[in-house]
Amino acid sequence: MGKLEGKVAVITGGATGIGRAAAKRFIEEGAIVFIFGRRQAELDAAVADLGSNARGVKGSISDLADLDRLYAAVKAERGTLDIVFANAGAGSPLPLGKITAEHIDETFDTNVKGTIFTIQKALPLMGKGGSIILTGSSAGTTGAPTMSVYSASKAAVRNLARTWAEDLKGTGIRVNVLSPGATATELAKAALGEEGQKVYAAMTPLQRMADPAEIGAAAAFLASDDSSFMTASELAVDGGLAQI
Amino acid sequence: MGKLEGKVAVITGGSSGLALQSAKRFVEEGAYVFITGRRQEALDEAVKLIGRNVTGVRGDASNLDDLDRLFGTVKREKGKIDVLFASAGKGEAAKLGEITEQHFDAGFDLIVRGTLFTVQKALPLLNDGGSIIMIGSVASVKGFPGFGVYAASKAALRSFARTWVNELKGRHIRVNVLSPGQVDTPDSQRLDKETREMFESLIPRGKMGRPEEIAAVALFLASDESSYVNGVDLAVDGGFSAI
Repeated sequence: MGKLEGKVAVITGGATGIGRAAAKRFIEEGAIVFIFGRRQAELDAAVADLGSNARGVKGSISDLADLDRLYAAVKAERGTLDIVFANAGAGSPLPLGKITAEHIDETFDTNVKGTIFTIQKALPLMGKGGSIILTGSSAGTTGAPTMSVYSASKAAVRNLARTWAEDLKGTGIRVNVLSPGATATELAKAALGEEGQKVYAAMTPLQRMADPAEIGAAAAFLASDDSSFMTASELAVDGGLAQI
Repeated sequence: MGKLEGKVAVITGGSSGLALQSAKRFVEEGAYVFITGRRQEALDEAVKLIGRNVTGVRGDASNLDDLDRLFGTVKREKGKIDVLFASAGKGEAAKLGEITEQHFDAGFDLIVRGTLFTVQKALPLLNDGGSIIMIGSVASVKGFPGFGVYAASKAALRSFARTWVNELKGRHIRVNVLSPGQVDTPDSQRLDKETREMFESLIPRGKMGRPEEIAAVALFLASDESSYVNGVDLAVDGGFSAI
């Protein structure tokens, strides 16, 4: 018997990478998972691979109408929601001196505003004992050159969990932050190249990048009752990268 | 199939509270567990409660000879350790101005010195890829009047984890701190209703933790489910320390 038997979950950015790995794990644990992503072809491929307990809804977290469609689909089919893994996010490098207004707006619209509305619009569907997982980053507590805007957006996400744990007092809904380190998704591997991957592996005390499935396992822990006394916590899943 | 099938775990201070609950859970998940405690009677009761796949070794985590005997027993019986859970520790209250040398030494001997030598003496037996868990406290990031020495000793453990993940990186041994908040133990059950309600009003979750809830997180940190979690201080406190 899986630890998410009969639960209904939403995973934003769920068609690829960490979101996809988490969807696979949640389904193995017995959940029905709605994955939300921007590209139809990737959503279709993911749903085909994940099997009959996966649903795909196309959309972007920075578009409020898309979020409304996502939750309308969940409501129409299941009527309730237990787990939201707000995993979608974006970031690009720009050093101080070259930062533009567009760069700030793009990053914060997706990572902060998008995360806020992903959760706020989910709340009416969430029952007692639900679990919200926000996605931080090892960048949120370290200083990676050129990544100040992304890192600040992730630090903001970490803080949301502190306040929301209080705002949600009495509802039984928990909210925690999962902060991955260097994770070997297809996207990251392509962006970093062979050399870049070696650099990140060497910087990490565990001496390797994460397999996306390892982040998925931590997400399943936060989604399940195994973490029932955890709220407002940050769980770094970074091999020690941001801890030293 | 359990999450710790075939694993050997050593839990110091395992004869009571959340460590005992963790020992019980680890055995249910397939581990063989060594527990320690200072009082033979409590240790015997704990061994009886756990029921199977457990050895109790009497000893004090601040006594180096006792630690040698503990790891001597583990070596003889199992020859290896996969999970080391250092939980021995307790705190007495004394405010700045009232702190005696004895108060300081008792706190730091057991928690800092005791934990350090527990880990160091376990190292030759620890498998590459093993998991070390130390029990911290939310006190280390808060400022409870009267608990300065206790809080500082727990903060030292959090610091050890940072250094040790670097020192152990060639062996892929993970080191993490689990920091519980208020847990419903026999001690807290003795609190009067008003004090208890006051404590619970400070916890966003609104209720104290149960020992089983801490054990579930200890299991996560002990098992491969947390294979990329390393060097963290994980607050398991219903949100108490984060707000």
